[in-house]
Amino acid sequence: MNEMTELERFRSDVPELDLTDVRAEEHRLLSAMRDVAPEHGRSTGRRVSRRGVRLRIGLAAGLGVAAAAAGVIVVNAGGEPGSPPVVHTMPVASVQVLKRAADHAARSSELHPRPGQFLVFDSRTMDTVESNSGGRQERYLDRQERKIWLPVDGDATHGVLQSRTLEPKPYPGWPVPAEARQNVGRSSRSKAADFDDRAEHLRNDYAYLSRLPADPAKMYDHLYIGLGTGPAADATAWQNVGGMLTEAYMPRAQRAALFRAAASIHGVTTVGRAVDAAGRTGVAVTLDPPGSGSREEYIFDDETYEFLGHRSVVTKAQEAGAPVGSVLTNSAQLKVSIADKPPTVN
Amino acid sequence: MSTASEEDADDASVIRRSRQEPEAFAAVFRRHAPDIKRYVIRRLGADAAEDVVAETFLAAFRQRDRYDLSRPNARPWLYGIATNLMGRHVRAEVRQLRVLERMGTDPVMEPFTERSDERLSAGASSRALASALAALPRGHRDALLLVAWGDLSYAEAAQALGVRVGTVRSRINRARQKLRRHLGATESVIYVSEEPVHE
Repeated sequence: MNEMTELERFRSDVPELDLTDVRAEEHRLLSAMRDVAPEHGRSTGRRVSRRGVRLRIGLAAGLGVAAAAAGVIVVNAGGEPGSPPVVHTMPVASVQVLKRAADHAARSSELHPRPGQFLVFDSRTMDTVESNSGGRQERYLDRQERKIWLPVDGDATHGVLQSRTLEPKPYPGWPVPAEARQNVGRSSRSKAADFDDRAEHLRNDYAYLSRLPADPAKMYDHLYIGLGTGPAADATAWQNVGGMLTEAYMPRAQRAALFRAAASIHGVTTVGRAVDAAGRTGVAVTLDPPGSGSREEYIFDDETYEFLGHRSVVTKAQEAGAPVGSVLTNSAQLKVSIADKPPTVN
Repeated sequence: MSTASEEDADDASVIRRSRQEPEAFAAVFRRHAPDIKRYVIRRLGADAAEDVVAETFLAAFRQRDRYDLSRPNARPWLYGIATNLMGRHVRAEVRQLRVLERMGTDPVMEPFTERSDERLSAGASSRALASALAALPRGHRDALLLVAWGDLSYAEAAQALGVRVGTVRSRINRARQKLRRHLGATESVIYVSEEPVHE
């Protein structure tokens, strides 16, 4: 046994504590705080603008969303124990783009990352940020340049994210708040994620994706794990496709199967021309889930059918709170490469 | 006061706010105090821990104007303050480790074990670890335990101790070698001293 493991066990019987175990200490702190409170800040009547918590855009947020979405689905569509299994039928209608992308996936050159290595994704993103600043609501489109190192195997908490804030854009009909510009030009490097509690079937590390079936019908089943049927299930399956394309990389057999399976999701259509966050034009396939007021597009190069990026575009002004055609999120995956290890995080 | 924003805001924003609204600092306490107290208990025992933890947060509160706001997570800073304060108890810490080494009973674990025979049953490896930890130079023990028990990264431990990452790395390497040697030396003893367990 390793000495660090031994050390971790040493006195590990000291129980985990909670707030009730630190009451005495809290009491001492609170009384010290009360002593300074009158002469400090408060009496001037000046309130610090309580800057709304910036949305943490990035992998951690993505993971949170994925987990939450999965939770909702389990409640709404998950089968009760003992209920008959949900049978999916793959629609005959399929989308030409995805099929061609699948054909291309079978021909494109291939990365072969080894266990212990890292996949490196360069991308540009634009996401909607909503914040509450001193009781005032603000909305803008935050833009970032991202480079993320993700372990070939294992969870994302061992990854490293480097990002630089770009000039923000206005959310349609809203002024860009001053604070949105505060960090423009600044770079930061941090752990890619503080937690990674995705369900097993939502993992998107290379090792996991490589083990998925190369058969489209089975891949289709994989996209619908725990989802049941219906428009909500289709929307989540579509989101799952995005999870396997964005800052993710899989061997070509699985990639081809994924595209064919995605083409079979009910409601998927082609959009024709779409522009990714780096200004590259491609063809897009899209799903317009009922009730959301916007469609989620995945954009592919129209010659090579490489995945370029994704965007969401308003389709119903009323539901989305922005004019039809507005682009509310957008990304561009610029480069995928392999590294032996990520840069260090300070 | 919106609890939602308080929960989401990182430590740096809470500390920034607490410079104008001192009460806001309570959020930093609630987030970190339980972990820090457990860490201090593991090193010094429950009796000393209450004072050390209370003083840690009082000191942090008084130094909040000097906190480097570019560090979103205050954990290394707080562990650093606690480590400094624990320095006053270093003799007690070593004495307790020596008791465990010689007697096989751990004074630190006393309040947490209901049956005295559990305390007595500290295995050979615990005694060897206690011996190795007691023999480490203080800075080496601080670095090692911040990483092993405090869950700090090397970079965070360097921040906490105010030294360079390279220093942390070499201290931990040397500490681990020492631990390995002590554990290796007792491996045969583990089997000899093993007694049947009756549940």
